[in-house]
Amino acid sequence: MPIHEPGRRLMHNVGLKFVEKKVTGHGNRPTNAGLSLTSMIDFLIVVVVFLLMTFSASGETPITKGVNLPKAENTLDMIDAPMVSITGSQILVDGSAAGNTRAIEDSKRLQRVDELFNLLKAKREQWKQLHPGKDFPGVVVLQIDQDVQAVVVKSVFQTAAFAGFPNVSFMVNSLPKTKHE
Amino acid sequence: MAGVDVGGGGGKGGRKSLDSEVNMIPFIDLLMVTIAFLLITAVWSTMSRLNADAQVPGPPRPDVEQEKVEPEKQLHVEMRSTEKFVLIWKQGGTVVSTVDVPRKDDTRSEGSTRVIRYPDLAAKIEAEWKTVGQHRDASDKKFDQAVLHTDNETPYSNIIGVIDAVYQAKRPYNTGKKAENVPAFNVTFSVN
Repeated sequence: MPIHEPGRRLMHNVGLKFVEKKVTGHGNRPTNAGLSLTSMIDFLIVVVVFLLMTFSASGETPITKGVNLPKAENTLDMIDAPMVSITGSQILVDGSAAGNTRAIEDSKRLQRVDELFNLLKAKREQWKQLHPGKDFPGVVVLQIDQDVQAVVVKSVFQTAAFAGFPNVSFMVNSLPKTKHE
Repeated sequence: MAGVDVGGGGGKGGRKSLDSEVNMIPFIDLLMVTIAFLLITAVWSTMSRLNADAQVPGPPRPDVEQEKVEPEKQLHVEMRSTEKFVLIWKQGGTVVSTVDVPRKDDTRSEGSTRVIRYPDLAAKIEAEWKTVGQHRDASDKKFDQAVLHTDNETPYSNIIGVIDAVYQAKRPYNTGKKAENVPAFNVTFSVN
């Protein structure tokens, strides 16, 4: 490909006087504004430090679709444990179906959820095989929609306890702490 | 360009200067990329938990003689009525004291979430624990027990409101090096 001599350039060969006048502002205030590099770098470093301090390596706890969590103030930090989600109609253990809430709501009495019981028991056995000789913590986190009825909550709570998970935590959204006298 | 003086500058003729220059353009690029990465991976919603204990007893040991232990006082929170809460301190099957707290639901909406709080109940439970609670010392590993009585139709958000009120009462607790303020009660549910 042959090499050509460069042609005419804007601002150099082609005048564009009105642009030059506007930018440099002859007599008027220039439209170009100066930016102090030192202040900008200070600002960027402060932002980086702030974001690094609030950074969480563990990532976000996934929330099951259809679960609207309630809010509470006097809470504890989240822990890593099997997650039981209860939506309007389904019970899930770490995303796998483990029962239906409609049957419990219709019966209007506390009952053991067999599918949930079997899944949690399997998780317990799996943990014991992976950690031989260690005490099983028996912790489970319940992710429950705000409108779910108490009979479902109590049934799942009781089922988890029977399956070897007596230490139950209810997942909530944090409310800012207020000062109490 | 900006420079970094690391001292010892102005060496005799021919010696390489110890001053080195930092190129500002890649430096600002690096800061921008770091900010973008941290902003994208930031977790803005804070999840937390409320603890509850199912109080499952261990298997019976027929070979070990059971010691006669005096049952501890437990706070039963009755939330079946729409008019009032009833706080009952029980020791075994014996009712020690009963207090009625008028039920005032402090309800507000935050987006699609319904926030329900019971400040009067929280204050009363805290006062009750200060007078009747048995486990107040920081070195005490046991906690006072609260049992929640609710009917089957109560929405979960109301239950969380009551548990949150129970957990407002705080006590010091030794966690190795220092004492932390933790909820004074363990909460469990009544099955009936």
